[in-house]
Amino acid sequence: MNQNILKKTILCAALLAVIASACAKGSTNNDSSTGQTDTSSQSESSDQITLTLLAYDSFTPSENIFDAFTLETGIKVEIALGGDAGELVTKAALTAGNPQGDVLWGVDNTLLSRAIESKIFSAYKTKNIDDLDESALKLVSNYDASPVDTGDVCINYDIKWFTDRKIAPPLTLRALTSASYANLLVVPSPITSSPGLAFMLATIAEFGEDGFNEYWKQLRQNGVLVVDGWNEAYYTEFSGSSGKGERPIVVSYGSSPPAEMIYASPVPATAPTAVAALTCYRQVEFAGVLRGTKHEREAQLLIDYLTSVTFQEDLPLTLFVYPANTKAKLPAEFLKYSLRPELPLQLDPKLIAAQRTVWLDIFTNTVLR
Amino acid sequence: MTSAYRHTTKWLAIAPIALMLVFVLVPVLNIFSTSLRLDSFAILSATTTRNIVWFTTWQAFISTAIVLVIASPIAAVIANFKFIGRRALISLVSVPFILPTVVVGAAFLELLPRSIHRSALAIIIAHVYFNVGLAVRIISSRWQQIHPQLDDAARTLGASTIRTFLTITLPLLKKSFISAGLLVFLMCFTSYGVVRILGGPARSTIETEIYFRAMQLGDVSGALVLSILQLVVVGILIFLITNIGKAKASPKFGQTVYSRMHHPRSSRQKLLVATVAITTAVAVVTPLMSVLHRSIYLGQRFDTSAWRSVLVDTEIFSSLLTSLRYAIFSIVVSSIVGLLGASAIVYGSSRYQFVNLITSIPIVLSAVTLGLGLIITFDVNPIDWRGSWLMMPIAHCLVAIPIVIRIISPVLRDLPNDLRDASRTLGATTWQMWRTIDLRIITPALITAAAIACAISLGEFGASSFLVRRNNETLPLTISRLLSRPGDSIQAQAYAISTLLIVVCIGIIAIVDYRDSNERGI
Repeated sequence: MNQNILKKTILCAALLAVIASACAKGSTNNDSSTGQTDTSSQSESSDQITLTLLAYDSFTPSENIFDAFTLETGIKVEIALGGDAGELVTKAALTAGNPQGDVLWGVDNTLLSRAIESKIFSAYKTKNIDDLDESALKLVSNYDASPVDTGDVCINYDIKWFTDRKIAPPLTLRALTSASYANLLVVPSPITSSPGLAFMLATIAEFGEDGFNEYWKQLRQNGVLVVDGWNEAYYTEFSGSSGKGERPIVVSYGSSPPAEMIYASPVPATAPTAVAALTCYRQVEFAGVLRGTKHEREAQLLIDYLTSVTFQEDLPLTLFVYPANTKAKLPAEFLKYSLRPELPLQLDPKLIAAQRTVWLDIFTNTVLR
Repeated sequence: MTSAYRHTTKWLAIAPIALMLVFVLVPVLNIFSTSLRLDSFAILSATTTRNIVWFTTWQAFISTAIVLVIASPIAAVIANFKFIGRRALISLVSVPFILPTVVVGAAFLELLPRSIHRSALAIIIAHVYFNVGLAVRIISSRWQQIHPQLDDAARTLGASTIRTFLTITLPLLKKSFISAGLLVFLMCFTSYGVVRILGGPARSTIETEIYFRAMQLGDVSGALVLSILQLVVVGILIFLITNIGKAKASPKFGQTVYSRMHHPRSSRQKLLVATVAITTAVAVVTPLMSVLHRSIYLGQRFDTSAWRSVLVDTEIFSSLLTSLRYAIFSIVVSSIVGLLGASAIVYGSSRYQFVNLITSIPIVLSAVTLGLGLIITFDVNPIDWRGSWLMMPIAHCLVAIPIVIRIISPVLRDLPNDLRDASRTLGATTWQMWRTIDLRIITPALITAAAIACAISLGEFGASSFLVRRNNETLPLTISRLLSRPGDSIQAQAYAISTLLIVVCIGIIAIVDYRDSNERGI
């Protein structure tokens, strides 16, 4: 009886070990991505190729936007959503060399260094490179990924709240610590939210690595409310949105005012919210060819399309971001309500990658404990 | 011991073991062997880690205790009385369990006073709201099977109602209380969305910390260490709880398929039924109304435009169909595999207890760890299933099967052997015996399990959100995607879909429950 159990346990363990090692071997074999994979791509090339574009969940371009690409190249594009940007990078890092798709959309500058260090991309210099935003291009060396859009994370405020009370709205980060704005600010946590992280980086860019801790101490004394995510901050706590919360100052996007106007029904006569231009932190998003794709050349063509004027002009009203291609024209309603800061706050992606954990620890201890 | 089926146990256990082996154990061992580094174990000595473990544990204990206290009277009324709206009440209490946490989280923030926003209390209230239905279903399906003659006998002998309850009913219900309590505890211990939304950024549980490490910091190794910690802590707690349960074996008589339900007789009984039913209904419905409210009000203004755009949107319609398809898949697969697993555990000798252990892993393990394991395991031909649509319904089943097993096995275990012996004496084959005795007696529990498997599939968000989706988005994923986008009308659409999801859930659960009552001729 006892021996029987023992035998079975050993059998099970052996079976497990075999399967596990088979799987582990499989993935390392593919790391070198030669031999087998090549033959399979050859046999497929006679049929129509379908590329998989991995993107974050909120990637929602116009429905038929890839038809032009398919018409031109004969290549189909399938969008595969896989969580937020952080999840995408973690998963891409684990599957580097044998990726889940061919092209990745949506690594922002706070995650860029981690993505590049994990060697998830296969370098490609897009043919549209000369048209792309220069300051965005500077963030990435070796053409590992191409900038595809930019946006700003800024302090937004409820215009009516301030005009009703005849109080001037806050225009700078420093102003937020003054007593006249006590208990008025709500921010998403940098630990769990990407705009929240961008805002913390803004305070580091403004007050320095040594000064931001002191700044957040003062914000805390001034009654800042830190919540889990952007949705909760904007749609539950902020007074300028449909949620009708109690706080008239919130961390959101530079493009939130046009979004408020365009997706309102009926459209209000004047914008209900505005942006404080001096508080903006620039976010840049990148797309790249995933290393190990079976369709390297086709994936490169897709990068060209993603950075082309046709695709880029679709972005403002669907993703509420600015095109990275400087030749792309902006829609009138977008220009009218959005605000483009001339000198946004920014930090070096390498510095972010190196210090991120330390900064988040400081933030946690100062603001959340 | 249930020896009648012993020789078939081997075959019964194959499906559940194979499923867990392929989709849970191998992926998890794979991610541990490729990504775990020893130096990450340093996290364990940090004070923050200790605080997180402590918070995770006590909030789960308190939530569970409150759930059991609240679930008891509801289960009592459901199991003992016939009344108008009884079936609706059963369906209604199960609804919160399936709702995506993003939706209910927002509804709770609107309803709860601001002073308790982002507090441990808010987390506990939401945990109670989500899990009472689960406990009610488990306890009441056992309660219905206690033969009414037992109560009558006790009362004839002069025992008061309370004494009858304490000496007859409660001991018979003990096992279902323990299994309900254990399940609820696991749900609260590993809960993710509620903690994030209602606990605020200052409170983390082991589960939220695992996510934060792996996804925001990219420290997969550290996340795996915490995942091991979670397994160990839960393992110890389960061991303790199950052993308390074993201390005194519950009596094995008094099971029946006979209905003990009757119309409330005295005015006291009528008052009891009315109070419990109405309070429960109001408590369940209020947050749901707040979801509906958000879908038809933009700001302070009544506006049905969100509903109009949702109802004509083909994409949302296809998400609805996807959700329904996966729910059906989950009902079929989870019920069958769960039934096989429970049978192997109950009918088999003690060495089949490892089936119990293996099938507990998916609920104890963090979704992050399992998700990452899956994507690095099924990554080579011919099993590059990472992008396959099948992964999502399978993930739903992995979450549901452990719960199905825990709903069915206590009922199966309490089944007295004399019934089987009698049928054997009368010349029944093993199959006939199983079908006419075991299956009939566990039918209510099996239906409960199917309803819960369906609910889990409809509401599942955690595991699904890790998998890559092409054209197979389910409703909870659509809701969360819309909620993360700016624009009032888009937000209202998210709440309109949530309302739709709630209606679909109530509908499906009502259908399943309807079958249940029909079969037993009530």
